[in-house]
Amino acid sequence: MRELLSVLATVLLFPGFAFLVFCGLLFEWIDRRTVARLQARVGPPWFQPVADLLKLLSKESVLPSQADRPICTALPVVSLAAVLTAALYIPVGGRIVYGFEGDLIVVLFLLSLPALFYFLAGWVSGGIYSIIGGSRSVLQYFSYEVPFLMALSAPAILTGSWSISEIIARQAEAGWILLVQPVGFILAVMGLIGKLKRLPLDIPKAKSEVVAGPLTEFSGRKLALWHLTVDIQTVAGIFLLVNVFLGGGSIAFVQPSASPGLVRGAMFGAKAVAMLLTLSVTSALYARLRIDQLASLGWRILAPVGLVQLAATILIGVS
Amino acid sequence: MTRVTIPVGPQHPLLKEPLSFRLTAEGERVVDAAMRLGYVHRGVERLVQDRSYIQNLYLLERVCGICSHVHTTTYCQGVEALLELEVPARGLALRTLTCELERIHSHLLWLGVLAENIGFSTIFMYAWRDREIALDIMEDISGGRIAHAVNTIGGVRVDVEPEQIRLAQHRLDELQSQVDELVNVVKHEGTLRVRTEGVARASLEQIRGHCAVGPIARAAGLDRDLRRDAPYAYYDRLFFNVITAQDGDVWAATWVRVLEILESLSMCRQILDDLPSGEVATRAPRRVPEGEVVSRAEAPRGEVVYYIRSDGSDKPARIKIRTPTLPALSLVQHQLKDINMADVPAVISGVDLCIACADR
Repeated sequence: MRELLSVLATVLLFPGFAFLVFCGLLFEWIDRRTVARLQARVGPPWFQPVADLLKLLSKESVLPSQADRPICTALPVVSLAAVLTAALYIPVGGRIVYGFEGDLIVVLFLLSLPALFYFLAGWVSGGIYSIIGGSRSVLQYFSYEVPFLMALSAPAILTGSWSISEIIARQAEAGWILLVQPVGFILAVMGLIGKLKRLPLDIPKAKSEVVAGPLTEFSGRKLALWHLTVDIQTVAGIFLLVNVFLGGGSIAFVQPSASPGLVRGAMFGAKAVAMLLTLSVTSALYARLRIDQLASLGWRILAPVGLVQLAATILIGVS
Repeated sequence: MTRVTIPVGPQHPLLKEPLSFRLTAEGERVVDAAMRLGYVHRGVERLVQDRSYIQNLYLLERVCGICSHVHTTTYCQGVEALLELEVPARGLALRTLTCELERIHSHLLWLGVLAENIGFSTIFMYAWRDREIALDIMEDISGGRIAHAVNTIGGVRVDVEPEQIRLAQHRLDELQSQVDELVNVVKHEGTLRVRTEGVARASLEQIRGHCAVGPIARAAGLDRDLRRDAPYAYYDRLFFNVITAQDGDVWAATWVRVLEILESLSMCRQILDDLPSGEVATRAPRRVPEGEVVSRAEAPRGEVVYYIRSDGSDKPARIKIRTPTLPALSLVQHQLKDINMADVPAVISGVDLCIACADR
């Protein structure tokens, strides 16, 4: 009984769902506030993301008559489930719900699922902007996902393990992977920006071109769940990069002995917020790229660079 | 490939005013565009015939929400020519000052709209923040931020105190430093360039063929500016350069407009530093002698033309307004063919349409 309660607590409270939702909303607020300050605006108060979510949840959900209603209802729920599940396998400052050898692959797979659901949402919701946005999201997916996967495979190959916890443990002994693979880290950050569809890669939902992209026809509860999905995805993506490249909750670059849990947690939080600020600043600094510009950036520059780094890792790192 | 029709407007996040494009697209490529206008037609040209010359000032000021002052300037110049009125130099100077402040605010507004439409909201926020300074100066001088009611037939309705001049000069300094920074960003920011360079390139022949005027014509190398070519108001006493570029794309138009802001700032300074003394207006009679006149002025978007015919009463017999947006609309419809879907925002915002002006 006690064991069951403790499992439930890890899944539902910390570092499970409640913590993830809290972090998602907090990160959204930090992001919006940072961008606002950079743009000489004041920005929203701390409770704005919560208020937005509650308002959307309480509103009527309308769909066009030609939309496929059951699928449109299921899609946001399934993609939220996918990102929440992905986040369960990601350690948070040493605490983890469940981990095993190969969880990195599961996390990468679950984190890329929302892209498919996002495309489907555009395809079945029956609006012209949705369809264009949906096809753009697939094109974008092919541009960022390959470099992103290559960037995250390299640390696994380097440490010889596909378990995130193991990668963190190896970094504690040998130093942050960021120091060895800075290029891979940059690729991963760019991939993450593409994954989260943040400026300058918010091409599928560019409002001056396709209104809100695949989500144009969504409203009320369904839209709220979509927004929550993006928030949780942001948290999961940032946590993943902090774990894989920045040594999780370690304080120094190399740290053989484990520090107390609270310190590790604080360190992890600080790194995560630093990553988030990087994303915020990037989104305020650049104009949106065109889809063909992104495709050429992805395939002409990012993918070859990722490939070279992967080859170098295999040749030098493993031997 | 299947063709789809994408409606852009009358309500769309891209457009700030009601106007409708129906784009025919093959995948991400726009192959054809049809345009529909008239959503904000208010019948201004008919309404002016029922109002006296003085009442018309307030109606014509509302033809446009951005370049309101240049409309009354053109109208007043026409009526003053019919009346053969001599406007005092101080009146002309203040009229020109408002014209140039309006150009600054219009160009900054346009820069913000372009940046927002290509997904660069930071420049949008900065441009619109700086625009506030220009609006503040106009508010201090006239009491109005958008509709200033500065012009009257025979001069202007407002006068400035030395204290106001000092405040305006101080604010212009502030605006200058911020615009300098903005120019620097526009010049060096790579993503702004890749989204605008080579987009909607108009050749000199196309510009002439569509009779395009203003910054888009100057961006294609057409060296034409009424302020220099046919000086009105106070422009013959000011020093300024007419900015031109060669490429004719959205980037060139951006650069021309940004440099024009700097020229306008310098003109405002020249006026404030050396403001002539004396009256600001001469008294105009209510009735205008019979006759007709064509009056022209350089609005922020290019040449605006008023044709005014008087039958000797206190109401105009006919006023015809031609705004610079009209040729721009015909050019933009032409440019919307065979382009990338993602370039549509840059193309449509690049020509700086003012639909309220065009529809009247």
